[in-house]
Amino acid sequence: MASVEIKNVRKSYGSVDTIHGVSVGVSDGDFVVLVGPSGCGKSTLLRMIAGLEEITGGEILIGDRVINDVEPKHRDIAMVFQNYALYPHMTIAQNMGFSLRLARKSKDEIDQRVKDAARILGLTDYLERFPKQLSGGQRQRVAMGRAIVRNPQVFLFDEPLSNLDAKLRVQMRTELKDLHARLKTTTIYVTHDQIEAMTMADKIVVMRDGVVEQFGEPLELYDRPANRFVAGFIGSPSMNFLDGTVVVRDGKQMFESANHTVLPLPEGLDRAFEGKKLIMGFRPEHLQVSEAPEVFEVTVSVVEPTGAETYFVGNANGDTITGVLRDRIAIASGQSLRLLPRLNAIHLFDAETEQRVN
Amino acid sequence: MSIPSNSAPQSGSSKWNRKRKLTDWAIDGFLILFGVMMVLPLLMLVANAFKTPQELVSWPPTFIPNNPTLDNLTAVLNDTPLLLWMFNSFAFATLSTIAILATSAIAGYVLGKFKYRSLNIIFLIILATAIVPFEVYMIPLYFQVQSLGMLNSLWGLLIGYLVMSFGIFLIRQNVIHSVPDELLEAARIDGAGELWIFFFIVVPLLRSALGALAVLAFFQAWTAFAWPLIVATTRESYTIEVGLALFQTGFTVDLGKLSAASAIVLIPSVTLFVLLRKNFVEGVAGTGLKE
Ligand SMILES: Nc1ncnc2c1ncn2[C@@H]1O[C@H](COP(=O)(O)OP(=O)(O)OP(=O)(O)O)[C@@H](O)[C@H]1O
Ligand SMILES: [Mg+2]
Repeated sequence: MASVEIKNVRKSYGSVDTIHGVSVGVSDGDFVVLVGPSGCGKSTLLRMIAGLEEITGGEILIGDRVINDVEPKHRDIAMVFQNYALYPHMTIAQNMGFSLRLARKSKDEIDQRVKDAARILGLTDYLERFPKQLSGGQRQRVAMGRAIVRNPQVFLFDEPLSNLDAKLRVQMRTELKDLHARLKTTTIYVTHDQIEAMTMADKIVVMRDGVVEQFGEPLELYDRPANRFVAGFIGSPSMNFLDGTVVVRDGKQMFESANHTVLPLPEGLDRAFEGKKLIMGFRPEHLQVSEAPEVFEVTVSVVEPTGAETYFVGNANGDTITGVLRDRIAIASGQSLRLLPRLNAIHLFDAETEQRVN
Repeated sequence: MSIPSNSAPQSGSSKWNRKRKLTDWAIDGFLILFGVMMVLPLLMLVANAFKTPQELVSWPPTFIPNNPTLDNLTAVLNDTPLLLWMFNSFAFATLSTIAILATSAIAGYVLGKFKYRSLNIIFLIILATAIVPFEVYMIPLYFQVQSLGMLNSLWGLLIGYLVMSFGIFLIRQNVIHSVPDELLEAARIDGAGELWIFFFIVVPLLRSALGALAVLAFFQAWTAFAWPLIVATTRESYTIEVGLALFQTGFTVDLGKLSAASAIVLIPSVTLFVLLRKNFVEGVAGTGLKE
């Protein structure tokens, strides 16, 4: 096990820059998830750590060794690919033992370690089969087994669950987390599924267009997103955003949206923001029914009861509002609700820089 | 094939069933007809090898010899070094196949998987040479072989048949189609060197394509005529193809002996095809590697 230190790493393909100076410190034993929309450079970053892509600028350290110019096989890492990349002409046992065979381990040791990994992953009965004789979930497990047997310093995963169906994905998510709890190997895991990120990670790196937007613990990202992008990316359904300005009514700071809905603001906002354009964000699950004078008058258009919660989409003064209500309120399309976001769950972002201001 | 359109109206599914059956029969009939047309000359050739001279020229021709004889076969084997020629051809074709497999596998893999701009240019050049007929550069090549002092030898023959542009093309396409990058990357991370990857990952994944190429390469050399004709000109260095051709003019015009010799020559070809048939069909009909 080892820490991974990514220092101001850049990547260009020819004249096209795809990663613009990323710095992330992964502590020994952490499970760090890289998330971000498609094309933001998650795979590229992971592949640079693996040694499959050259590092254009900056440094990557595994432990205290700079590995920029170290060959993949000497980096002591294992990688699991999205499409598993199992060797089709080798049995499961041979697939899992391949790296040990290359490392010239004795046959007994290979057998033993393959058997151990197979037992952990529930693959014992499949060792003599070929990859094409296994289901998707089993193949995924073999791919993990191939990584486990080597007992590497770092595990790298590139969207390992995205080829599985929804149910299996949830199951494998739990298994992977469990595995990490047992092995405690430093893990860097790429996904574009923010729920996967939230549920599995010790820390999350949110990337966009080749830069890190925020690096922190899952709940930190949820509670205090550093900017509008992270706020919108983390959480499902996504956060509501309203453009507007800070106004002062009766000596109190209020938020007036572009469509002239006036809402209360948490106290203690810097007076410098008065009169400035801001973006207000609040999560659907933080909306509450309220009798206060200043509220959203939401005319509900779509209602989706899930049993535990009720999702709805409505319109307030021309702004589309998504909401989730825990209580089973009987609401119907066309009905109007008086709603307010919880004051301590209001996020304010600068309209220009989109950075958090409160 | 047309379906009687005035048949009484029936329930949709049985009508459709009948239509499909008729189509199947039509396809079968068509294929059988063509199969027979292709095989008949070969069967005739084998039959002729066992006929007496009189029967050979009799009209109408018989299919099963009336009084089968082995005279033709023994005469051919005694009068000419037929077995030596076959050996020459066999050695030539085998070595050429090995060389073509090796060059195609390496070049095809490199061209298919390694991304350097210069490789694209090389690939274009290879494609270009594929459309230049061998006969065009056969003569310059002949002089090179001559200056190397390799005329009338197996090595001289081989020089024209070491590389096959189509083979490189075939393997390159197969590499692109059936050797995913991730597999090579996984192997690199697992600690495999490039040679290891080539021999233990790439080659096994290409086996059906290489099998198909082996058949093509073998028969290309086995049936080569112009090149062996100019390079191997002594009676002992003939390949079977050249030997058979000279049969008709140089030694004898005996149709029976020619048939007998040809029938013998068929044996290795047919054997090899039967052995490699599965590979051949798979490799040519799009690589069967789905996994
Ligand atoms: N070989 C390459 N040549 C040029 N550009 C590339 C190359 N590989 C990736 N890119 C570019 O780099 C950027 C990041 O790609 P990357 O594969 O890392 O995205 P990603 O975050 O993994 O996306 P996804 O979620 O779709 O897998 C993309 O804009 C992509 O077009
Ligand atoms: Mg990716």
